Amino acid sequence: MKLIIDEQRCKGCNLCTTVCPYNIFQEGRKLNERGIIVPILDRPERCTNCRLRKLYGRQLCGACQMICPDQAIYWIDEDPYAEESVVIEF
Amino acid sequence: MQGNRACCEGALAAGCNFFGGYPITPSTEIAEMMALKLPKAGGTFIQMEDEIASMGAIIGASWTGARSMTATSGPGFSLMMENIGYAVMTETPCVIVNIQRGGPSTGQPTMSAQGDMMQSRFGSHGDVATIAVVPSTVQEMYDLTAKAFNLADRFRVPTFVMSDETIGHMRERIIIPEKVDIVPRKPLEEGKLPYEADEDGVPGFANFGSGHRVHVTGLTHDERGYPDATDPEVHEKLVKRLYNKVESKRHEIADYDAVNTDAEIVFVTYGPCARTVRQVLHDHPDEEIGHLNLRIVWPFPEDTLKRFPNAKTFIMPELNLGQMAREVARHTTDQKVVSLPKLGGYIHTPDELYAAVEAER
Amino acid sequence: MSTRVFEKWYREDRLPHIFCTGCGNGTVMNCAIKAVDTMQWEIDDTVFISGIGCSSRAPGYISTDSLHTTHGRALAFATGVKMANPDLHVVVFTGDGDLSAIGGNHFIHACRRNIDMTVICMNNMIYGMTGGQGSPCTPVGKISTTTPYGAAEPVFDLADLAVAAGANHVARWTSYHTKELTKAIETGLATEGLSFIEAMVQCPTAYGRRNKLRNVTDMVEWMRTHAILLQKARRMEAEGVPIPEDHFTVGEFIHRHRPAMGVRR
Repeated sequence: MKLIIDEQRCKGCNLCTTVCPYNIFQEGRKLNERGIIVPILDRPERCTNCRLRKLYGRQLCGACQMICPDQAIYWIDEDPYAEESVVIEF
Repeated sequence: MQGNRACCEGALAAGCNFFGGYPITPSTEIAEMMALKLPKAGGTFIQMEDEIASMGAIIGASWTGARSMTATSGPGFSLMMENIGYAVMTETPCVIVNIQRGGPSTGQPTMSAQGDMMQSRFGSHGDVATIAVVPSTVQEMYDLTAKAFNLADRFRVPTFVMSDETIGHMRERIIIPEKVDIVPRKPLEEGKLPYEADEDGVPGFANFGSGHRVHVTGLTHDERGYPDATDPEVHEKLVKRLYNKVESKRHEIADYDAVNTDAEIVFVTYGPCARTVRQVLHDHPDEEIGHLNLRIVWPFPEDTLKRFPNAKTFIMPELNLGQMAREVARHTTDQKVVSLPKLGGYIHTPDELYAAVEAER
Repeated sequence: MSTRVFEKWYREDRLPHIFCTGCGNGTVMNCAIKAVDTMQWEIDDTVFISGIGCSSRAPGYISTDSLHTTHGRALAFATGVKMANPDLHVVVFTGDGDLSAIGGNHFIHACRRNIDMTVICMNNMIYGMTGGQGSPCTPVGKISTTTPYGAAEPVFDLADLAVAAGANHVARWTSYHTKELTKAIETGLATEGLSFIEAMVQCPTAYGRRNKLRNVTDMVEWMRTHAILLQKARRMEAEGVPIPEDHFTVGEFIHRHRPAMGVRR
């Protein structure tokens, strides 16, 4: 699973950065087009939910999602190391 | 039967199943009677902590589909005004009975008056349009209270039964009809937005729990019910629709008696003063004295005045300092409007009214 | 597969909401929705009712039937809804000013009657929506627009008030303690009778800015460090250790089974 911060909703409060037990976030540096400095994922590999949700079959931790006042954090299915297949046509 | 009890019976016959009230003289009998009869009829009675809470509770109950009502008098009426405005804005049907007493302030709790007539229309802040029915006999207390529920449901607006201590506390014989006509509120159709009005300006009603997931708010809202407080067009459209849905039908729903329509001197009354006028007409049967008795006072049906084409003078006896006389004067061009206020708690005597007729001759 | 937080409960077309950056109300909304979801209530059987204020804008973002009522009167409307149709699940969102100032009367009567509903008070110790006026819960000495020389009035302890008035389940947590808050709300939803959950929330814009807690993280840290668990506070009192100023107790204050109104029998 991959953690996504919805840039359309995030207001840059950095509460996720504060509460994450594994310190996966870091305060961002660049303004996005809405004028918000969105936190960046510094060490996403330490996020328990990302790593182990499929194994346990239920939500783990989720402190950032619960505390986010803007409902901006969610997870999507993504295996970043999937092999890409290429189709060759003659 | 006592007037207050007739009001109660009329409400129950019309299907009232929720009453949230606060005791206040002279309307306490309605609350007491409802406390006794509603649970047996399968409804809910709750005595709230004040009139503001009473109004809140009946609006909340109305949104679950109940036909709700409350009863109060002058001081409580003033307290309810904010929530009455809320009911107008959210288009919540409910019935408020005001057994008027001497005012202002604590005034005369046990004496009659009609001092809240303007307040029933203009009491809440902002431009509102409401419906007010006024009974003049105990029979009308029964009939008009039942009718008020139908009017409230049809127009989705709080409807007032503006009675007073005289009618509320007097006892007369009444005829209880077999069945009262119940016209329930129009349900919201599938696919329509919660505040999308039909041609008559009234949207369908979606009970809580019906699956429509309505967001009800007192803020200016668009057709979806979502608050949109900064758009001037949305606000104008909403307020005008709320105003016109009632005002545009004022002649259609007008309920009145017009006696001796050829007369030149016409009494215009509402409420207990009608009784005195009827006595005057009874005592002087050969004289041409006209009588217009309004049973629905707001929205004011000015065309009823035209039913007296020869009228030169409108005499208005009222138990206040001429509140409705202003409204009549507003709609008359060359006729004279004479206001006959009477304060103190007793209604006019037939002699006083006849003297007024003589003075105009 | 995306796991947005409780997407079926939120009106997605209305988000992002109007709350300020870092407002605690958003967090409390999340906790409340999670608790309601865990109870497995149907969306169509649940009604959210609120008064006026920042906290009370929350039902506008939740996709159930909702009633956004007049200032302070949410509990009166909720009483009407619950008594007329006891099958509906009623949750009330309110704020500290809405509940304890203008709504004080309705608050104590709702607790006394023990109507079966859950009241979640988002206590940000100020009148947030209107710009930062003092409320009955603004701590002594703090600055707000109507208390420019520091608040002079003693503070209401809303949880104690609810206990005294007769509510069946009373708890207080902060928006930092999301897990405990969610659990407390869940217990409240399951309890028959009035459940009162007070959530201390951060208001960095109105309260924080005037009281040296403008940074969201600072204010949340303040709440975390100034919250004392109820059992610890009672122990400290018993031992004679004074509770430091500005600290407030958190925890479950009471859980009892007084007879409740508005329950279908």
